[in-house]
Amino acid sequence: MAVTVSIPTILRTHTKGEKSVSAAGTTLAEVIDDLENNHGGLKARLVKEGTLHRFVNVYVNDEDVRFSGGLAAEVKDGDNVTILPAVAGG
Amino acid sequence: MARYDSLLDALGGTPLVGLPRLSPSADVRLWAKLEDRNPTGSIKDRPALAMIEAAERDGVLRPGATILEPTSGNTGISLAMAAKLKGYGLVCVMPENTSTERKQLLQAYGARIVFSPAAGGSNQAVATAKEIAKQNPDWVMLYQYGNPANAEAHFRGTGPEILKDLPEITHFVAGLGTTGTLVGVGRYLREAKPDVQIIAAEPRYGELVYGLRNLDEGFVPELYDASVLTGRYSVGSYDALRRTRQLLETEGIFAGISTGAILHAALAVAQKAEVAGKSADIVFVVADAGWKYLSTGAYAGTLDEAAAKLDGHLWA
Repeated sequence: MAVTVSIPTILRTHTKGEKSVSAAGTTLAEVIDDLENNHGGLKARLVKEGTLHRFVNVYVNDEDVRFSGGLAAEVKDGDNVTILPAVAGG
Repeated sequence: MARYDSLLDALGGTPLVGLPRLSPSADVRLWAKLEDRNPTGSIKDRPALAMIEAAERDGVLRPGATILEPTSGNTGISLAMAAKLKGYGLVCVMPENTSTERKQLLQAYGARIVFSPAAGGSNQAVATAKEIAKQNPDWVMLYQYGNPANAEAHFRGTGPEILKDLPEITHFVAGLGTTGTLVGVGRYLREAKPDVQIIAAEPRYGELVYGLRNLDEGFVPELYDASVLTGRYSVGSYDALRRTRQLLETEGIFAGISTGAILHAALAVAQKAEVAGKSADIVFVVADAGWKYLSTGAYAGTLDEAAAKLDGHLWA
């Protein structure tokens, strides 16, 4: 079960500058664990005390995972996972 | 009645129009709330006027005062018009990567603009405005991201207008910026219809805009209340442009680019309802018209070319 994960500039120090990496898992939590195996240090930037960092947004196929189970959100083979810092709009 | 004592009195009461060609079926219908029909042409007239009037009532804003506000454009334009009519000065802190029309309109209304760096987008504008506020304690920062009058304008105005015109509403879709529209309208609709779905469409910009030095510089508006929302979509510039053009070509509505992003989310919601075999009446916000974005090339050339030109710009 492989998904494509797009990494924001601010976290690319963990991926040797790669904008997009692949990872495996059936839930977002598993995907993040797999990311951590290959790109050490990422997990601590994304997850605080068992939930997503307040200023990190994660989308599976453009839908915010906070409304589809958070770390337990299901991912399917071929899904696109996008990680972005929370920034102001308006 | 269509007669008003002044431009400010003409705020709100905007049309809700059906979209027979874009709606997937007779059971899944899309409706556009035309917020470009406000005094300065955007939904931001509602919170801008509400924040000014609240500050006047509270005695914070006195005759001749100077208003300070971080804004990527529309809130600034709304404030500039109201400030002009009411005799206030206005200083807008605006990211430099916004459309030239927005800058020109602000200047035409007599507002002063302090530009903040493109990298970091509106985050930088907020941080810069907070610095300027410290140095100018007599200026009044209305602060749209945390001012309850922002969401309240939609709770009292936009929400009731929509429910009155479409009591059968099942979904409301709007842009996520200050979060004032979604939180205000969402709270109002939920009181009347507990099952209503409140969906956010969030612009996804080029990388420049996410150029923070560290994650702790991230920003979630104080007004944001995730419990009001039932879903949130991130929409990139290509999809936003594609839908903006589709809205013009199929239904004749000439909208701004953020409206394309909102429509993209509304169509995703419509598709889900269609697949599930459920009927739906989906209201989405047309936040402004396209005039302020003509110079960005959004409406000409191929979508790929237009999307490339928008990269790094704040289009919502």
